[in-house]
Amino acid sequence: MPLSVRGGNRPRVLRTFGRHRTRLALTSPAKPEDPTSSVRWFGAGFLHAARLPMFVMALTFLGVGSLAREAGVSLGVALCGTLLIWAGPAQVIFLGAIITGTPLPAIALSVSLSSVRLLPMCVSLLPYLRAPGRSPLLSLYGVHHVAVTSWAESVRNIPAIPPAGRFSWFMGLTHGLYLSAGAATLAGYMLAGALPRQMAAGLLFVTPIYFIAALLRNVREPIDWMALGFGLALTPLLKPYIGAGLDLMAVGLIGGTAAWAGQRVVKARRARRP
Amino acid sequence: MSFADWSGGLWPYVALVLFGFLPSEAWRFLSIFLARGVDEGSEILEWVRAVSTALLAGVVANILITPSGALASVPTGARLAAMGFGLAAYFVFRRSVIGAVVAGEAAILAAAWWFS
Repeated sequence: MPLSVRGGNRPRVLRTFGRHRTRLALTSPAKPEDPTSSVRWFGAGFLHAARLPMFVMALTFLGVGSLAREAGVSLGVALCGTLLIWAGPAQVIFLGAIITGTPLPAIALSVSLSSVRLLPMCVSLLPYLRAPGRSPLLSLYGVHHVAVTSWAESVRNIPAIPPAGRFSWFMGLTHGLYLSAGAATLAGYMLAGALPRQMAAGLLFVTPIYFIAALLRNVREPIDWMALGFGLALTPLLKPYIGAGLDLMAVGLIGGTAAWAGQRVVKARRARRP
Repeated sequence: MSFADWSGGLWPYVALVLFGFLPSEAWRFLSIFLARGVDEGSEILEWVRAVSTALLAGVVANILITPSGALASVPTGARLAAMGFGLAAYFVFRRSVIGAVVAGEAAILAAAWWFS
């Protein structure tokens, strides 16, 4: 039951959901395995996606779709690429490498390097997505949906959701994103070449501005500020020394560890204060 | 062995799965095993979350410093200024992600037309 999290500053996702379930909450507490509750949480996740993330996805994948057309792959391959790879940067690398005629094993290597970031992202969400008795296949299906947008939207919201609703909420969120990304890949494929270059530049800018704003919104504690700041600052510093896609991993490990250590210092100081 | 050699029938799809899907999905698959000992509220989860946040910030910084495609035709200074404008809007509109995206987009589109 979301009763425990009802308060002034509970996440917006729960406030929306509360409107839908107030009556239910007053009559009978939903059991964890209650299917209507799962459907409702799925709906709440979907609605969360429909607020802004779906539009962001759509704008980003317009670009991916038109890149696919440029790469000369069929529409089917373009759509399967979105649904299977489900990671914008990896798709851009895959399609870009096809355009330049890069050998396939080399493509696989750069795709894999760009997707290393999915590892810590998945690990940080999995404790909220798994449940005793859930089949490993369903867990794998769930974890397949972790990508930058779904991570940024759920990492701070999901802990506030009652454990029984988390998986359904996440599925609702990501299937909303799927829908818009798929539709936008299709639209981008159809529109390719018709977009002025300036518009194309605008589409490519959606990702960075949205991610930064979403990361800022997720900030709760000093560790978040530090991780964000270190990540931004370290990238230009490390880039000249570490190349070939490994620079990001280094930025993540060094910046993240420094932020984590910084948080411990802050906590120790707070504890010492009377 | 390039993508063009795998044309016809289902071969492009096989190439997509082998050289696009699997190399990317492997990390998600691996995470299931690595997350086994990680519990909600644990210190290691805090660390993993910080690493992910720093990584994503790095992704953004990368796009800003070395953009690909059409975004590269906008000068670096203008890209950074548009980002700054978007972030200012985020705070002006009281922590609004939508505000940041709309303002940042307006700025980058203006810059793209100005410098074209």
